[in-house]
Amino acid sequence: MPPEHSNFARITTLLLFLLAVGFAAEPRKITVYAPRANYQIDILAPGGVDYVGLTDLLEPLGRLESRSDGRKLSFIFNGAETDFEANTRQVRTRGNPVPDLPANFLLLNGRGYVPVASIVQLLPRIANQAAEFHSASRRLFVGSTQLHFTAELRHAPSRLVLTFPAPVNPSVVVEKSRVRLSFRREPVVGNGTGAVSYGDPFLAGTSFTETPNGAEFIANILQPATVVIGDAGRTVTISAQAAPVPSAVPQPLPNVQPRPPATPPPPRPRPFVILDAAHGGDDPGAALSPTLLEKTVNLALARRLQKELEARGISVVLTRTADNSLSLDQRAISANTSHAALYVAIHASTSGHGVRLYTSMVALQSGQSRRSFSPWELAQSPYLQQSSLAAAALAAQCAADGLPVRRSTAPLRPLNSVTLAAIALEVAPLGSSPDELATSEYQQSIATSLASAIASLRGKLEEAQ
Amino acid sequence: MISRKLQLIVAFLVLAILAMGFYLVHLKHKAESIAVGPVAQALAAPFSGPPEQMTLFVASDEDYSMRPIGISSPLPSDPGERGRLALHALILRYLEPDSHHPLGPGADVRDVYLLDPASAVVNLNGELANSHRSGIEVEQLTIFSLVLTLKAQLPQLNRVRFLVDGKTRDTLAGHLDLTAWMDVALVSDAAGELK
Repeated sequence: MPPEHSNFARITTLLLFLLAVGFAAEPRKITVYAPRANYQIDILAPGGVDYVGLTDLLEPLGRLESRSDGRKLSFIFNGAETDFEANTRQVRTRGNPVPDLPANFLLLNGRGYVPVASIVQLLPRIANQAAEFHSASRRLFVGSTQLHFTAELRHAPSRLVLTFPAPVNPSVVVEKSRVRLSFRREPVVGNGTGAVSYGDPFLAGTSFTETPNGAEFIANILQPATVVIGDAGRTVTISAQAAPVPSAVPQPLPNVQPRPPATPPPPRPRPFVILDAAHGGDDPGAALSPTLLEKTVNLALARRLQKELEARGISVVLTRTADNSLSLDQRAISANTSHAALYVAIHASTSGHGVRLYTSMVALQSGQSRRSFSPWELAQSPYLQQSSLAAAALAAQCAADGLPVRRSTAPLRPLNSVTLAAIALEVAPLGSSPDELATSEYQQSIATSLASAIASLRGKLEEAQ
Repeated sequence: MISRKLQLIVAFLVLAILAMGFYLVHLKHKAESIAVGPVAQALAAPFSGPPEQMTLFVASDEDYSMRPIGISSPLPSDPGERGRLALHALILRYLEPDSHHPLGPGADVRDVYLLDPASAVVNLNGELANSHRSGIEVEQLTIFSLVLTLKAQLPQLNRVRFLVDGKTRDTLAGHLDLTAWMDVALVSDAAGELK
């Protein structure tokens, strides 16, 4: 090939490769398996070093407060304070220095970022919980969440029995020569052996690998197989099948048998309240101060209110438990499918003082029942009476507790599309400093008032429902 | 070996892609310059005739109030144009240095279209929405005062829809819904509960 042709081919290939990479690139994430929740956090790579947001990492793990002066960031996590200084590697937890970070701490727009390589070192000190990070698969295990399984080959008939310490629900694909079990949600980890050879007429061998944000178990089979998930999800049995499998590549879930009806999963308690911390992820909401975003205050207040409600025996669900994006329609769908009795959207603002309570500004449709058809944007209409009742109760309790409070109606989404009693709450500082919105004292006083009012509404709303 | 013909075809395609990209950027800039062109000159056009009474509903963040204020000005006969001038006069109040409900610099209303005597579409400019403070209460005060001021000029008005630079926008500044028609009676009722 002449040199000019070769160069041309190289340049064209490079351009096509860059285009393909540009379209295919997705943000990398770490999957966190914690005792209370599994979640994913984005990885940033400024200067080629992988970083994660501290708030994203810690918020779902417990009560978190933070304050920043633009140079330093202090976190109070479950009562213990940790101090970071921007562009240095030094950290102090509970006043004591800890080993330096492998790279500088970053403070960007009031949010702190630590190197991914430091998570295992920091979490035990900040959150008092052990952490194990699998860098290749980007899986972080907080506490003792890892699920170690055992695999045992049994005979007559030949079958491989996998036993897990907690229920699992892998996606199963049975192919001609192998069975694949994919664990996307469960913190399943291997026992360190990787590939195992059995040399059995049914089972040649198995392998376990961790994939980005998941894990995969593969059984290489020599005969057609069936897969049964039993013992309420604690065992997975791969058995030799008597009859041959018809031509089959690949057949998702053809041989998976339903779980025995005798062991249904325990029913989830029906929540009474669904709390919606407004904004989140790419949508920061209002910039309350140069270092304080509305989405952060909303989530902190939602968590505090959740705690107060649960202390009163009221079950609560949150639409979001971390800094992630949700569309307005997704929030409405979450509320409508939660079977809760009350939806509360939580907002924060620097305008005005105290608490504002809003109900939807949709027209009350005469003669409309809850079972009749409603357009999506007017679905709140049959529930307006309950919404007003809830807003009145919350306003009365706030006023009784000395909080400035106002009630109004406003055209707000997703309130218009929520098919249960629904209110939006906007909190503003009592004084002139927006930082008051982030103080635990102020948030606690609001959460206590609201929780008391919601507790008093319980009978009325459940009866109306 | 790559034939000469294939090289020419690939080179031509790459050039065509680049040219189309540049043309697209050019068209985008052109469309934006048309959309965000100044409106102040049009509003400044004088109307002759006797002065008429106009009521503006002026919001205040201080006490969360909406107060009617009467002003006198010559007004055109076209209802849409009268509505636009009333909203422009209201926004000018909000742009004053001592305003109790400040809007961002350059905020204005581009047009008021009447689909019928009861239905108006208000086209705000991007400066108003993009520089608006974010929050349910502040956004509510802006929108309610615009609706009530328009209703004062157009008594038959039943519903209002807001656009920003001619396009539908989800919210004014992250909170108040602008995707649907607003019922003027409901806005009046809600505003009546303010101070």
